[in-house]
Amino acid sequence: MLSSDKAAKWILSAPLLLFYVLMVLFPAGYAVYLSVHDISLGRTTSDFNGLANYWKILRDGNFWHSIGFTLKYTVIVTAAELVLGCLLALLFDRAFPGKRVLLSAVLLPIMVAPSLMGVMYRLLLNEHNGVATYVFSKLGLEINLFDPDVVVPLLIVLDVIQWVPFTFLIMYSGLQSVDKGLAEAAAVDGASYARTMLQIILPVITPIIFIAAFLRGIDAFRTFDVIYVLTNGGPGNVSKTASIFIYEMAFKSGNIGTAAASSVIIALFLLALIPFFIRRLGNA
Amino acid sequence: MGRSFLTRGLLFSLALFLVLAGCAQSGGKGNGGSENGGAEPSGERSKVSMVYWPGPESDAMQKVIDAYNAGQGKTDGVEVEMVLLSRDGTYEREAAMMSSNSDEVDMYFTASYIIGQHAPYLDSLNGKVKFDNYLPSSVDSLTVGGETLAVPMDVSNHFLFYRKDLIDQLLSDAAWQAKYKEISQRVLGRELAPKDPAEWNWDDFVAAAAFFSKEYNADSPTKYGTALQLKNLIFNVMIWDDVLYSNGGGWLDNQGAPQFTSDAAKKAMDIYRTIYEGKMTSPNASVAEYPETQAALQSGGAAFAIQWGAAYNELNDPERSPDVAGKIAVAPIPGDHKTHVHSLGVGLNKYAKNKEGALKWMNYLTTAEAMNIYAQNGGIPPIAEVLNANADKNAVLPLIAEHVDKYGYSVPIMAETQQILIVLAEKLSAAWVGQADTESALAEAQEQISNLLKK
Repeated sequence: MLSSDKAAKWILSAPLLLFYVLMVLFPAGYAVYLSVHDISLGRTTSDFNGLANYWKILRDGNFWHSIGFTLKYTVIVTAAELVLGCLLALLFDRAFPGKRVLLSAVLLPIMVAPSLMGVMYRLLLNEHNGVATYVFSKLGLEINLFDPDVVVPLLIVLDVIQWVPFTFLIMYSGLQSVDKGLAEAAAVDGASYARTMLQIILPVITPIIFIAAFLRGIDAFRTFDVIYVLTNGGPGNVSKTASIFIYEMAFKSGNIGTAAASSVIIALFLLALIPFFIRRLGNA
Repeated sequence: MGRSFLTRGLLFSLALFLVLAGCAQSGGKGNGGSENGGAEPSGERSKVSMVYWPGPESDAMQKVIDAYNAGQGKTDGVEVEMVLLSRDGTYEREAAMMSSNSDEVDMYFTASYIIGQHAPYLDSLNGKVKFDNYLPSSVDSLTVGGETLAVPMDVSNHFLFYRKDLIDQLLSDAAWQAKYKEISQRVLGRELAPKDPAEWNWDDFVAAAAFFSKEYNADSPTKYGTALQLKNLIFNVMIWDDVLYSNGGGWLDNQGAPQFTSDAAKKAMDIYRTIYEGKMTSPNASVAEYPETQAALQSGGAAFAIQWGAAYNELNDPERSPDVAGKIAVAPIPGDHKTHVHSLGVGLNKYAKNKEGALKWMNYLTTAEAMNIYAQNGGIPPIAEVLNANADKNAVLPLIAEHVDKYGYSVPIMAETQQILIVLAEKLSAAWVGQADTESALAEAQEQISNLLKK
């Protein structure tokens, strides 16, 4: 018979475990089930087809293109957001007039739903009636931000604008937990601010940086909303992310089986990265 | 202490479980957050639930439902309830319901470009609903394999929208005409004289686009001649199809094989490419669709554009388009004047609980009374008599009736229709904006669509 403590742990964990089973394990299991069946919206029957869906996706150039674009996009935006978030956190890690108001303003972009952000950008940047375009024209700048050669960098910039506050928040919180005595001791020993930050403070908050990188990286890999609203993965498939690829496969083309197989492949790929991050966090 | 903690833990877990179960129950009753459009069904009448598209269409449909429920619905013993899913996600949510053979709703919302996918989940209406009053192309566009699967509710087509004031000046101003000839010589290699847009061929379209672009004409009253819709989107392929069909092309040849490498397809691509690379349209056209084209016309940024018929009212509304209201006219698509037609409609769920009631409601929907109410409240039903009778509500309605009847075409309706549109959107949108070679894009589209149709 379980002791009261063990029983209490199970009982208190029950809601979360139930949620995990219903919202994570069951959908994942069902996705695997769908991925080994020939199932599409245009047919009412589904036949078991083994690994045929996986084979079809692994040979699909569009799938690999979307993975390639998503990886590049993820690395660039995550790196940019980590650096900028860190710099912003260091900037705010001191007292100055209006800090609280400015802090609230900095956090505003992450309060907006990504899809709404996409709609806002679309309106702001409209060449004929967008506010941003109007301001640029008054400054004498003729910029076509949706020019095909510029649209991908634009998407990266828009992502950075929205999510730097997220990495900033994590790192700012981390900085608050650092012993101020470390910086003071370094100053007494004559270390410059830059040297103190690079050789003392940043190593201390390395686990925090890894957490921010992990969370932001996973999220960036799943990017859908802003890109879907602004470019729908175009022109062509220039900006098509893995999420948009799977969405179109499932709901536009109606190929549920192959969409599920794509999801499973991507999930396995991302799962493989988790031990790396956990090891790094453990070592730190 | 331990037992008391355990008891509290048990009670807490139970309370949390009940709260979650209650939330799931109320979410299910609301159909995942949708609104129910009518009054609570009475116990004496059977209920019919119908999925519809939120927006102007559902606003108009609610009036029809109210009239039915208060009138003929009593005789039929039926009460209709509208189920609204999110506008952008209606088809996706319906896909989830259909694939699980759901009986949660009696009628699905559908459209020409997706009815091929919906076909296995809809009952045929042949012999059960009469479509005598409808524009033939609208019924054809919801017919799969000879079976009509939905009642057409709204018809969508395209027009060439143009600034009448600017074209009138072009047709009467000698200096403008001289400039027009010079520009057409430069762009097309021969002199063209300006014509009324109703008589345009595609060379006239390109010449006028160049004339009204600052790139070629520093004195142009507009920044761009036209506003192309080049975003990777199936609705933009439907507009490009007008260029294809109006150049004598089409999707399939007489044997049912795709013909996207035809001369007409290449010509249609060249027209788009010439305009885009010649800066006769905005470089931002690569992400443009309906709203961006509206903005271009409303702001006076473009002199003309091929646009959806629904745009007419807004463009001539002094409150919403103060700069151009009263100055916008419509003409047929240049060349052979072919205009894409697709219909939005409602079909009968194969697994519906109340098929009998749904069919009674559908037969009411096809009456002039129902369609008049629909048109008077913003709908565009594909019945010529109704469209012509409601010109005071929306001046473009009689024009829609005329153009759909005379020039309307429907792309082949089959299970693969939407997939073909997706392939075309992806392959061609890159070539439209110079990110891919035209011939390669057409060849890849041809190959992929051929493989699709072979399965």
